[in-house]
Amino acid sequence: MTPARRVTTQELLGRLTFSAEPWMSCDECFEAVDGYVEMLLAEAPDSIPGLRAHLAACSACLEECRSLLLLAAADAGVDPGRALERLGNA
Amino acid sequence: MAPCDTDWVVLLSTTGPGHEAALAKLHGLLLKAVRHQVLQMYGRLPTIGVVRVDELINQAADEAMVAVLGKLSTFQGRSKFSTWAYKFGILYAAVEVRRSMWRHWDVDLASVPEQPGHGLVPEEEAEGAELSVAIREGLEKALTPHQRRVLIALLIDDVPIDVLADRLGTSRNALYKTLHDARGRLRRYLTQAGFLGEPTSRVIP
Repeated sequence: MTPARRVTTQELLGRLTFSAEPWMSCDECFEAVDGYVEMLLAEAPDSIPGLRAHLAACSACLEECRSLLLLAAADAGVDPGRALERLGNA
Repeated sequence: MAPCDTDWVVLLSTTGPGHEAALAKLHGLLLKAVRHQVLQMYGRLPTIGVVRVDELINQAADEAMVAVLGKLSTFQGRSKFSTWAYKFGILYAAVEVRRSMWRHWDVDLASVPEQPGHGLVPEEEAEGAELSVAIREGLEKALTPHQRRVLIALLIDDVPIDVLADRLGTSRNALYKTLHDARGRLRRYLTQAGFLGEPTSRVIP
């Protein structure tokens, strides 16, 4: 048995055919995510297109990136709002 | 007081003065990251009791500690040391929580559902019947059995990628590659069948 979930046909189509380009693996994402989070918090331009594409396609990596962003923001004493907003578009 | 970023690697790599204190401080950082992650996912944790949650936290922090020490030479200062270390704590905690969430759930890997879109909203299913048929045909014709199994488990049944990796004896990295390739094949099939235009993508501003 698995948990039930309801989706629309269009949502399903989007999920099943999402194009995450340029290619980046989960391992490469993990390598780069700490620098990426600090870049987002510093409101610097996004310079890692492969990472943002990966985050849009991999829910586990996105969840962990968002969590790291919140923790780093708390440590730095900065508001994570804008960075979360940018990440939310991934 | 925490060491500066360059000192962390030196103190943790050599058994001189300050080594033990640096190890203790690193463990503290990792416990903080693990607790943070468990809190983020707490609502999805099954009722496992305070003792088990505490065990999960300590186990994840210990595993993260081993991973950080093994990867010390790869720290290149592209972020603060604390941010770099936190990502290990968050990863190990997230994986443990996902495993706990799915400990008592079966993952059906032996069969492909007759209706791959079995979770569809009924009215949408009626409206998009043609598309549903095309998706089902694409899943059957364009994908290998392994690709189909992975795609359905991750994107339709919402099985966490780490849980599926455990059940299939593989890694998150390998499954993501399979998912990426399967999406590409299905996209090409549905594009040729006239159901898709340009590739779906989004951009972080």
